[in-house]
Amino acid sequence: MDLEAAEAIKGAIALVGYGLAAIGPGIGIGIVAGSAIEAMARQPEAAGIARTTMFLGIAFTEALALIGFVLFFIA
Amino acid sequence: MELILASAECNPAVDIICAPADVNELFEYREAIFSLGPFPFTRTVILILGIALIVSALLYFGLRKKALVPGKFQTVVEGIVGFVRDDVAIEIIGEHGAKYAPWLLSVFLFVLVGNMFEITPFISFPVTSRMALPVMLAAITWVVFVVAGIKRQGFGYFLGIVWPKSVPIALRPLVGLIEFFSILFLRPITLAIRLFANLVAGHLMLALLLVSGWVFISNIGEIGPRAGIGLAWFTMGLGIYMFEIVVIILQAYIFTLLSAVYVQTSLYPDH
Repeated sequence: MDLEAAEAIKGAIALVGYGLAAIGPGIGIGIVAGSAIEAMARQPEAAGIARTTMFLGIAFTEALALIGFVLFFIA
Repeated sequence: MELILASAECNPAVDIICAPADVNELFEYREAIFSLGPFPFTRTVILILGIALIVSALLYFGLRKKALVPGKFQTVVEGIVGFVRDDVAIEIIGEHGAKYAPWLLSVFLFVLVGNMFEITPFISFPVTSRMALPVMLAAITWVVFVVAGIKRQGFGYFLGIVWPKSVPIALRPLVGLIEFFSILFLRPITLAIRLFANLVAGHLMLALLLVSGWVFISNIGEIGPRAGIGLAWFTMGLGIYMFEIVVIILQAYIFTLLSAVYVQTSLYPDH
């Protein structure tokens, strides 16, 4: 296999890697946001706390997808 | 504007995918515009100074008069200051939170204005998408929360991390190891990467969609009806533009919020 083809395949694999890295956080953010909405609907008076905690949860979950995104550029 | 001018060299009639030869081209530092002694001034440096100027001017002119019945501008600035102090510093950190409010406010406004440059016409460059900046901000946060922990608990701060008392004794070495890495290494790294990657992703999306749309539309004479694709790209780019406004504010908020949470966990480790 020549070098150019190897480079192209490496880029394609990095793309697939990013896609895989996005699966888990995608599900996670869905769960976090869904639970937050449920909490807000049940207790509207606690909506402020639920929202702050939701952003925190999303931020922590999102980090994995973003690391995948950065690794896609590094690869 | 520079990107649009640069992409004019790529001819969509010949070659539809106008990618840079190497992705690293997107991250290269441009030549310095001018130098003052050993300090080269690039566009990033000038924009960072611009942020400092904008934030200082905002706070100075917003809070100068301290009128009892505030004007519109004063209301907005007081709203931002009060939001960071009450809803972030005091609510997250607790009773000692007000002490950290000035630092959190500086971080929030710096990141917010830095992010805002992403959607400012004729600048279109989020300063916080240069890795050096988020890393520096995350390093400051790291120093603040480690110093806060040492001040509050003395050397017991590090002991509490590697030998957590609230965990069954058999699990302590394992949990301690994980905590050690996650608190002292992963926290600042993810804090920096979160801001950086969000802004790079947004900037790339905007640049790709708007520029490719523009290239298609402006070459309508050469490529004929295929230029209609450009219209779709351009519309989608404008949609992403709206989305980016949300992301910009949210990322500044999240950066501040996480900084506050990290300080809180080193002040009250049991919570």
